[in-house]
Amino acid sequence: MTLRRRLVDWSLTGVLILVPALVLRASLSRGTPSALDQALLRITAPLETGVSWVVEGIGGTWSRYVALVDVEAENRELREDNERLRKDLAAMTRKAYDVAALEDLAVVKKRTPADTLGARVIGAPLSPQFRVLRLKIDRGNREIATDMPVITSEGPVGRVDKVYGDYADVILISDPSSRIDVVIRDPAQPATQAAGDTGAIGARGLLVGLGRADSYACKIEWLERQGRPVPGADAKVKVGDEVVTSGLGASFPAGLVVGKVAKIIGDDGMFQSVEVTPTVDVSRVRAVMVLLAPPPPPDPDAKSRRRSEPAFGARPL
Amino acid sequence: MRTATIVLTAYLLCVVVASTWRLLPWIGDAIPDVGALTAAYLGLTARRQVSPAIGGAIVLGYLIDLISGAPPGLIALVLALTTLVARAVQQRILVRGAAISIAFSAFVALVSGILALVVRGVYRMPSAAFSIELRHVVWVTLATAVLGPVVWKIFRRIDAAFARTHREREAALEGLAP
Repeated sequence: MTLRRRLVDWSLTGVLILVPALVLRASLSRGTPSALDQALLRITAPLETGVSWVVEGIGGTWSRYVALVDVEAENRELREDNERLRKDLAAMTRKAYDVAALEDLAVVKKRTPADTLGARVIGAPLSPQFRVLRLKIDRGNREIATDMPVITSEGPVGRVDKVYGDYADVILISDPSSRIDVVIRDPAQPATQAAGDTGAIGARGLLVGLGRADSYACKIEWLERQGRPVPGADAKVKVGDEVVTSGLGASFPAGLVVGKVAKIIGDDGMFQSVEVTPTVDVSRVRAVMVLLAPPPPPDPDAKSRRRSEPAFGARPL
Repeated sequence: MRTATIVLTAYLLCVVVASTWRLLPWIGDAIPDVGALTAAYLGLTARRQVSPAIGGAIVLGYLIDLISGAPPGLIALVLALTTLVARAVQQRILVRGAAISIAFSAFVALVSGILALVVRGVYRMPSAAFSIELRHVVWVTLATAVLGPVVWKIFRRIDAAFARTHREREAALEGLAP
């Protein structure tokens, strides 16, 4: 290489190095990209986007499919945890239901003026339409007997039909063989606290189960329209009237709400025939109360009797 | 044509590195300086004239300036100076073999980092605390040293493809300066 060519080469090198130095000075003083910068960015941007897309795609494939070696074991552990937690949750839910049912029973026991015994529902045969046909409870022949009434906090459930060993069958009030003496109560006329006063409008009848496979409906035939009507109240039974136990027949205590009049089937002027929808949702009953003995008869002097003075010494000083 | 191919390949590598390193946050500052490696290779393999190597380094530096968001001209100037340093080294040592390649890659990355600091200082550009800048230079040097032999192998393949004779091709693959 001749000296002249070498000089030219080094001169060119010097000029080339001067170019970025000047460009840098210009760009620093300008502060914004030049038109050339913008044009080059516009040309190179798609290339960068494409390369980024490919690299991110490979990275995504790696992180989603290849780098999942430990995930299988972790997944198995999480599944086991999930299964255990589900079992725990089911057990807790069952316990919560039991506690709620027992609380209900405690309320019933406190409210009912008769000897009672709590029982847990352990079985419920269903109809093809998924209606409960009867209940099986965990009380046997050493504790209860047939025909004993069975109630919940919401009202009567039925009566003990068969007792065998440590278990018993309860037929529901919707069973055709069930019969309960009831009276009609106008919801607008609430019952008073006095014993034996059910707030009835006077109509009285016998509630019989319809035994339908698709509902728990009952009916009252020969519902007497004559009776002890409340002054100013219509003795005629209407849809929506409450049906409560009369307390007669020495089975259910008086005043338990059995259900509501759903439909007037017939009315011949003297008697009415109505269909009743029970208050108790038998499919949700988990615990019941069996009435061991009939409630004591109402005390006619309860209102007039004065409370006795406390004994000496028991009075607060 | 050879220089243009190397510059274009280096530019693609820079884009790939920028895209890949973004997905690896644990890498931190350890980003290989592909621009410095390319400039050094151009300087090392410059034949009789140095100006084509300088021109290639400036073009590559300018493109890196654009994609990295640096002020246009900064990396171009740094890479041009790095090419000159590599050219000066080429006349004294033979860069051949993995160990020397790694060591020389670390050297050019260090030189490039220091030159960048100097240029920024000369142009009074804002910079971080000196300790942070130094730590950045060290991490970049380490990453460049690791990736250097691979990048140079690619460039040697390109050189071999442009060789006119079998002997030139063998020499290019061996890493011998033409």
